[in-house]
Amino acid sequence: MIRWNLTWDKGVGLFLIFAVLLGSLLSDNFANASNLSFVLRDVTEFAIIALAMTFLIISGEIDLSVASTLNLSSASLGFLYRAGVPFEVAIVGGLLVGLACGLFNGWLVTKLGLPSLAVTIATLALYRGLSYALLGNQPVNELPEFWIGIGYGRIPGTFLPWSTILLVVLAAVAWFVLHHTRYGRWTFAIGVNAEAAKFSGIPVQRTKLMLFAMTGLMSGVAGVVYTLRFASASPDGAVGYELSIIAAVLFGGVSIAGGIGTMWGVIAAVLSLGVIRSALQLAGFTANSLLIVSGGLLLISVIAPKVTETLRNRTRAESKDNTKKTIREVGNE
Amino acid sequence: MKAITNVFRAREMPVFLALVVVVGIAGIANPAFLSAAGAIDILLGVAIVAILAVGQTFVIVMRHIDLSVGSLIGFTSFIIGDLYAQGYGLWGGLAAALGVGLIVGAANGFLVAYLKLPSLVVTLGALYIVRGVFNDYAFGRTITAAMVPPEVAWIGLNRLGGIPYLFLIGLALVIVSGLVMRRVKAARDLYAIGSNPAAAELAGIPVARRVFGAFVLNGAITGLAGAVMLGRFNAANANSGLALELLVIAACVVGGVTIAGGSGSVWGAFLGAILLQAITRTIGALGIPQFWQQAFNGGLIILAIAFDKYLNSRVKTTTIMGSQND
Repeated sequence: MIRWNLTWDKGVGLFLIFAVLLGSLLSDNFANASNLSFVLRDVTEFAIIALAMTFLIISGEIDLSVASTLNLSSASLGFLYRAGVPFEVAIVGGLLVGLACGLFNGWLVTKLGLPSLAVTIATLALYRGLSYALLGNQPVNELPEFWIGIGYGRIPGTFLPWSTILLVVLAAVAWFVLHHTRYGRWTFAIGVNAEAAKFSGIPVQRTKLMLFAMTGLMSGVAGVVYTLRFASASPDGAVGYELSIIAAVLFGGVSIAGGIGTMWGVIAAVLSLGVIRSALQLAGFTANSLLIVSGGLLLISVIAPKVTETLRNRTRAESKDNTKKTIREVGNE
Repeated sequence: MKAITNVFRAREMPVFLALVVVVGIAGIANPAFLSAAGAIDILLGVAIVAILAVGQTFVIVMRHIDLSVGSLIGFTSFIIGDLYAQGYGLWGGLAAALGVGLIVGAANGFLVAYLKLPSLVVTLGALYIVRGVFNDYAFGRTITAAMVPPEVAWIGLNRLGGIPYLFLIGLALVIVSGLVMRRVKAARDLYAIGSNPAAAELAGIPVARRVFGAFVLNGAITGLAGAVMLGRFNAANANSGLALELLVIAACVVGGVTIAGGSGSVWGAFLGAILLQAITRTIGALGIPQFWQQAFNGGLIILAIAFDKYLNSRVKTTTIMGSQND
């Protein structure tokens, strides 16, 4: 029997290549500079938040409030700027608000011991509500020309939007931290078994608090990018992004049970979904098809590992070597 | 005497007291709030979320979750109107709504119960797929008042003794479900499964079959609730029911149905839905700008889960689905 180690994240990478090829085949307009620039721009906020969400889900927690945090950060930026604060300071204010939102989630989860799913459903409503309370019905549209140019323009001589630089840097840092530092190893250890991690001396609660804070901060960064891209801060932006982001992270091979996942898988997943969306749109499919494809991919991402695992266990049972458990099984217990 | 102390020690009591306080404050600040019109407004507004919260309770007590209900109820409310307009009548539409609800519930239940996939992921996938199929089916069409079956429209508009029929439907559902959850063994099993799935399995409970059954039941309730939604709004479009799932789960959580599974009741979820709705109205009655409404709801949910945690302070570690006893 030929052994080839096709892990899920590599599969998603292959899927990305397949999606790009499919896009180029389906439409002549796919692989041109302006469309690729559009695709990149469209996934940047998702990707930035997904980087942090990957850590959080691997550690066994979740944050449903990210889209509301993104929007509250954007609304705070707009509110401060409208109140006469210099734009650069308002950006810092927006980022700090994002960080504060994440810290509040983390505080409720780690200090009060509340379940993150319920907590972040609550703060999803809370942060969205605060956006409305800050801006009322009036979006802030008069932003400085220079910054709108950053949000709108491309790096000279390329098709890449400026935000791509930010994304690449953040992705590289996230990849390095997750796979090559002790903080990354702690994240995995906590996700596999928080109790065992605690007994091995890992500061579980502090690490989780940090992860929530980072997720808030990254949502804040995404909020600033979002504000610049649309040249507007409004109370009702980014509604429903949270589930799309989580769907992308899970499609990227991160286990909802915690303890499993790679940064490359998630990045490939976010890009794939952006590419597929663009390809389907250019080929004349409606937005509905994209919903069905997203949902289908999400289901496949949990069914496929299950099926391969079952098959593997069956062959293993035959060779009387069924004592070893996969990390996934341990993580699920 | 014991019966009376039991009433005051019930899990639902804090929710009920909170409801009394909220309504009291609103009534003092703005007497119009306590008028019949004000109360009917709340009861009418709450029917849909209350019904879905009852169905969701079956799922949450098993330490599972169903995120697909918003897409599903929107879809079936559209189907009922559409089939009526095409001449299949009210019963044809209801049968189709029930069928779609059963199919979605069975698909979710199969993947969760028998393939042992995480319900959060499965039902998130179902949320997208059902919404996608729904949008494809609707394809820019809308259900207008003329396409709503007259019986459904009548139920949406009329009252029995001053109480809207839609609310009575919810009340009937919660009474029946409440009895079932207390008396029927299969329903009691759901609590055992939520408290400790492995122990439930060892105790001889057919866990997979119960989990499957609860998802199917929730699908059926949600499918039929499409009629309630159609009656309430007298219209439907491709966005009907969007993001409703989080509101439903919020109602359960506020009502003491713990995300960690194993505790809570349909009455609690029902009261939770009413409390959220009452607070929304109270904010209006107090003259606070409606913009603050969501922020209040969010704050309330945090208070509810913190309170619940205080009541169950024995538990130690937490997962995303909540606390687990070691």
